[in-house]
Amino acid sequence: MTGLGYTIPAIVAVLAVCVMEFVVLRTGLFRRAAYWIAMVIVLAFQIPVDGWLTKLSAPIVIYDDRHTSGVRFPFDIPVEDFLFGWAMVTAVLLLWKRRRLRDRGKNLS
Amino acid sequence: MDHWQYLLVLAACLAITAPLEFFGAGVYRQAWRTAAAVLPVAAVFVAWDAIAVAVHIWTYNPRYVTGWELPGRLPIEELLFFVVIPLCGLLTYSAVDAILARLRRVRTRAAPRS
Repeated sequence: MTGLGYTIPAIVAVLAVCVMEFVVLRTGLFRRAAYWIAMVIVLAFQIPVDGWLTKLSAPIVIYDDRHTSGVRFPFDIPVEDFLFGWAMVTAVLLLWKRRRLRDRGKNLS
Repeated sequence: MDHWQYLLVLAACLAITAPLEFFGAGVYRQAWRTAAAVLPVAAVFVAWDAIAVAVHIWTYNPRYVTGWELPGRLPIEELLFFVVIPLCGLLTYSAVDAILARLRRVRTRAAPRS
């Protein structure tokens, strides 16, 4: 249970996405109600999908417990998966927003 | 049939989110914009995934994948995962954004003129 292999990279991914927004892209995504509502919906669907992928009775993805915090909730989902998923989806939304802002700038000029 | 399990989970995700395409300006209809948002992130996560598999942080149950693999022993399902799940996220955000914008318009129109 060192957490080195998964827990730490998952936390780093979340921090990297925050840096991407607050330092580099500044899309304002985190100030949009639509983003947070969408995140709640994504989370609600992640639980059954990820729960199915990671269930210990018949796992599709098998984790080495030495590399995780060992906390699995809800069902058998390693909590790190929520950081991983948030970082992945948010990074994509940031790039999507950046494109839109750039396109809008082009239309104005 | 078990070997199709992971692929079927991904197919179900695509099927459930497909109708969201019609709420906003579209995700599939803006294929280039979508690709420009999804693919760079997918590249980073595929690399992360390949490293994790190589050093056995996590592995895939051969029972539930097709056995088609990318270099680095990455199941083809994993590559699809990094496209399918972001698509679901984009479709959700896009639909919520469009619905909120519509509600704002309705509220502005309903507001009494002063």
